[in-house]
Amino acid sequence: MADIRENDIASRDEDGSASVSRLAWISSGLGLLLFLGSVGVLGYEGITRGNGPPVITAVVEEVVPAGPRWLAHIRLTNDGGKTGAKVQVEGQLMAGDEALETSVAEFDYVPAGSEQKGGLFFDRDPRAHALRLRVLGYVEP
Amino acid sequence: MDITRQRSFLHDEAQFARALARAAAGAIIFALPLLMTMEMWELGFYMDRFRLALFILVTLPVLFGLSYFAGFEETFCWQDDLIDALSAFAVGFLMSAALLTVFAIVRLDQPLPEIIGKIALQSVPASIGAMLARKQLGQQDDADRERRIRSSYPGELFLMGAGALFVGFNVAPTEEMILISYKMSPWHAVALAVLSLGLLHIFVYTVGFAGQESAGDDGFLSVFLRFSVAGYGIALLISLYLLWTFERIAGLSMMELVTATVVLGFPSALGAATARLIV
Repeated sequence: MADIRENDIASRDEDGSASVSRLAWISSGLGLLLFLGSVGVLGYEGITRGNGPPVITAVVEEVVPAGPRWLAHIRLTNDGGKTGAKVQVEGQLMAGDEALETSVAEFDYVPAGSEQKGGLFFDRDPRAHALRLRVLGYVEP
Repeated sequence: MDITRQRSFLHDEAQFARALARAAAGAIIFALPLLMTMEMWELGFYMDRFRLALFILVTLPVLFGLSYFAGFEETFCWQDDLIDALSAFAVGFLMSAALLTVFAIVRLDQPLPEIIGKIALQSVPASIGAMLARKQLGQQDDADRERRIRSSYPGELFLMGAGALFVGFNVAPTEEMILISYKMSPWHAVALAVLSLGLLHIFVYTVGFAGQESAGDDGFLSVFLRFSVAGYGIALLISLYLLWTFERIAGLSMMELVTATVVLGFPSALGAATARLIV
């Protein structure tokens, strides 16, 4: 315990004991807050989310022209407990019971409790037909 | 203790600010490979919430221990170590948050638990990096500290464990760990285990890296059992814990489980062996 630095003397309080600098309090307080906050959010999520399978629904947000074709923006919502990976979504333009056109999109992940967006391309205008969306399946990540 | 405590950088605003800046640099450099690893972002939202929370909980005592042994600034009592550990976590968390936001991995329209999960997972390596910054990027005048480590066997084991955790963590999230174990036969696994143990022993006692351990008067067998075998055991346990945390072992048969642990045990053992270089 040799080299006592000069500037350390200045940081001593009047009673001779050193006080921890304000910056150290701020940074460690922030650390404690972030630490407890993340553990708290994760723990709460773990308790409330449940452990059920993914429950994934698909809706069409809007249909827009895309070059010579049409693009249907779709949104997937997972209200289940687990994340679905490689989620396949199929969109069919229906004329009565007959499918005129089928397009498929695959989502890498649809995390539990979150939304993912994508799109399906069609040759015909989906607004002129009934567009049927089906979530085909997933694998566990 | 009073005199030494006054020396601590903690009590000097400017010095502490510089230590924090160095910690931020360390957080970025050490966590960069994982910040740019796809599996890490995905694990951040799909891995089991309780395992992730437990992982964050485990990080704090590790940071505390690292502060005691290495830390980004000198500390002289346990309160200082606690302040340093929490500060390192703050730095690691904020750096992870900033970089993930810049990479557009974290966006504000994502649900909060997803954002927190991604950042919290990255803040583990980032805060350890922040803690290691002193030794790697700062001045090295810690003869006391070296004595403190060398004098205690639990200290040695802790450092090996921290090294194993840090290096093992750098590869544990990737799919390759499991893929490699699928390709290996049991004989490959045995060979890899022997290789890991041999390299661990050689790295620590023979090749003469900085911080190399001297075997002293103890015989080869004593040193081999007390340090190398114990260190490899710790590396394997930490590998198993990491695989469990990242949900890589669900549904594996016992043989596959052991092989995957041995595969991850290789980088972990090297981490344990070179902990003294890093820490």
